[in-house]
Amino acid sequence: MIVRREIEERTGRNISIGAVYATLERLEAKGYVSSSTGDPTPERGGRAKRMFRVEAAGSRALQVSEQTLHSMTADSKGRWETI
Amino acid sequence: MSRYSPPAFACRLFQTVLPVPYRGALLGDLIEEYNLRAEAMSPSAATRWFWGQACRSIPFIIGSSLRNGDWLISASAAVGVYVIMEMLISAADFMIAKLVAPEPTAYVVLAPIVFLAFTSIGGYAAARIRFGTEVFLALFVMITVAVLIVVKACPIPMPWWYKFGFLTLGPLTVLLTPVAFGVLKPNSNESAT
Repeated sequence: MIVRREIEERTGRNISIGAVYATLERLEAKGYVSSSTGDPTPERGGRAKRMFRVEAAGSRALQVSEQTLHSMTADSKGRWETI
Repeated sequence: MSRYSPPAFACRLFQTVLPVPYRGALLGDLIEEYNLRAEAMSPSAATRWFWGQACRSIPFIIGSSLRNGDWLISASAAVGVYVIMEMLISAADFMIAKLVAPEPTAYVVLAPIVFLAFTSIGGYAAARIRFGTEVFLALFVMITVAVLIVVKACPIPMPWWYKFGFLTLGPLTVLLTPVAFGVLKPNSNESAT
């Protein structure tokens, strides 16, 4: 729930929980995140919370993505003006 | 414990499509946020939000299941249920045509009842065997009816709505019967995920 709300607050877009879980599951399959289970609570209808942690491989992949994005967008202002 | 409870049908719909590793945590997240929204805004607004989440999440969850390969097991189970169901429908149709109602008019009335009865039993059995199997069964039923309409298998000329009824109500019966009978209740794995 926190992941979904955080994305909503940061992007201003209404995100479905199914999209978040599907993405997290793919990231977990790739070893980028790991998950653990909390205790069931009455507020959640007796269901446990699943907590995710970013792994070292996930951090590295994120850094690479950030660098790629940065190199793609650096000097973009000049390029748009040229076009 | 909150005094608000999320829409039961939407919960059951989620339980229908959610794979076991997802089910408990995802539903728990939704219920927790539903309660927060119901207290902050109104229960009706929270219900609308819950339904919105259900409708928008299902395509992602189905897509994820397809990528994981879970669908192969469900599809195989659905083929088994489908074969048995079709054999039973054919046997019942034969009995009706030959013994109970030899006249075409009576057959036209009884055939949809038999069809819906067996598709509902098939949907129930499929959901009992494995979650998600009923979705494939509904797809098989829809394809079969569509093919029968295209090849004009029925010797008696029928109005479009009669055929359309088979095409839509058959798959819907397969999908909704397990939901209506509460087959898709949370199981013991749910709280552990």
